[in-house]
Amino acid sequence: MSESVDAPGLSELPLEDLVACHECDLLMRKPQLAHGEKAICPRCGYELYAHRHNVVQRSLALVIAALLLYVPANFLPIMQLNILGQSAQDTVWSGVVGLFNTDMQGVSIVVFLCSMAIPLLKLLCQLFVLLTIQFNVGRSYGLLLYRIYHHLRDWGMLEVYLMGVLVAIVKLADMAAITVGLGLACFIGLLLVQVWLEVVMSPHQIWQALSGEDAHAGD
Amino acid sequence: MRAIDAGILVCTECHELNKQEADTDEQTCTRCGALVHARRPNSLTRTWALLITAAIIYIPANVLPIMTVSSLGQGDPSTIMSGVIQLVQHGMIPIAAVVFIASILVPTFKLVGIALLLFSVQRRQPLSARQRIWMYRFIEFIGRWSMLDIFVIAILVAVVNFGRLASVEANLGAVAFASVVILTMLAAVTFDPRLIWDNTESDADHD
Repeated sequence: MSESVDAPGLSELPLEDLVACHECDLLMRKPQLAHGEKAICPRCGYELYAHRHNVVQRSLALVIAALLLYVPANFLPIMQLNILGQSAQDTVWSGVVGLFNTDMQGVSIVVFLCSMAIPLLKLLCQLFVLLTIQFNVGRSYGLLLYRIYHHLRDWGMLEVYLMGVLVAIVKLADMAAITVGLGLACFIGLLLVQVWLEVVMSPHQIWQALSGEDAHAGD
Repeated sequence: MRAIDAGILVCTECHELNKQEADTDEQTCTRCGALVHARRPNSLTRTWALLITAAIIYIPANVLPIMTVSSLGQGDPSTIMSGVIQLVQHGMIPIAAVVFIASILVPTFKLVGIALLLFSVQRRQPLSARQRIWMYRFIEFIGRWSMLDIFVIAILVAVVNFGRLASVEANLGAVAFASVVILTMLAAVTFDPRLIWDNTESDADHD
């Protein structure tokens, strides 16, 4: 692809035949991709876009799986602690409530947003976007929601939370008896499904399908 | 050739190409409706502002205690660093290393790294564009992991809740620390990576 970088008359080509790297602004002729291929910027190495099979159907399945796991992951106990006959349970939600009740409202809201609200909003945005593509209704809302999704992306921190659980378990291990709960399994499941979803749901194809440029972009 | 030289604007949200219109300040993307700019407006100034605020709050975040563990009525406040030292003393080296990296190395590296990026973009420091883009991506990727300690506190507060026998409460340091993490993440978002390539010698950095 790099031979086309300095090709003369690049600026005269119609916009449809061009692609520009989002991270370094390099302008290139748009490559044609087969299924399973991806295009990489020759200057900075950024992934321009990928072309995957059945993006919409596969993503829909994953979004629904993630939403089903969401409730048990956040409200079932992640671990149980026993000290001298007394026991206490921890869920993601109880962590938020605990902080809120000890006059740490600010931190509690941050934890709530990063570990519960934003991951849920992301999934709902993705679900709605995929439904609008699948059933071909409300595309303009789909575009708006997909924009919101991209703004939220960095702020959902499930994987960091999981590491936090691990650190907490190690810290508590010599102080009390700990049993790991079902919530943790659901949480790990949710995290894995969500990572998988981000790989499958290739943004370039979703944008194309949403804007109606290419009726088969999501296939 | 850069898109900006061809009069083409890349939408920062959906990456669609838009022909630059001559006499308008607020052009919107033809596909997704977001505002498009050749470069993010005031990117460097905004990033500096967020970075400097973060650097100031960084001090109380490290000096003030982030949580107090009390058992049998005796409180034991701990700062970020003393939490790491405690883990080391208990012989839990791998976890201590993870916490040390996430809570101390990463925030420090981010503050220094973003400042270096800004300096090198503004003053053409001898960092190659490749080094800078890797630094930018590393900062963007690693930033969220600093939230680790905040989540640990949330979990401990919820689970260690046995009244006088044992309890954990969060302190002001946690507020400061969470603010630093959020401010540095915002600084990484406002920084426009395309600036990195604007003042390199044309395509000299490109293999």
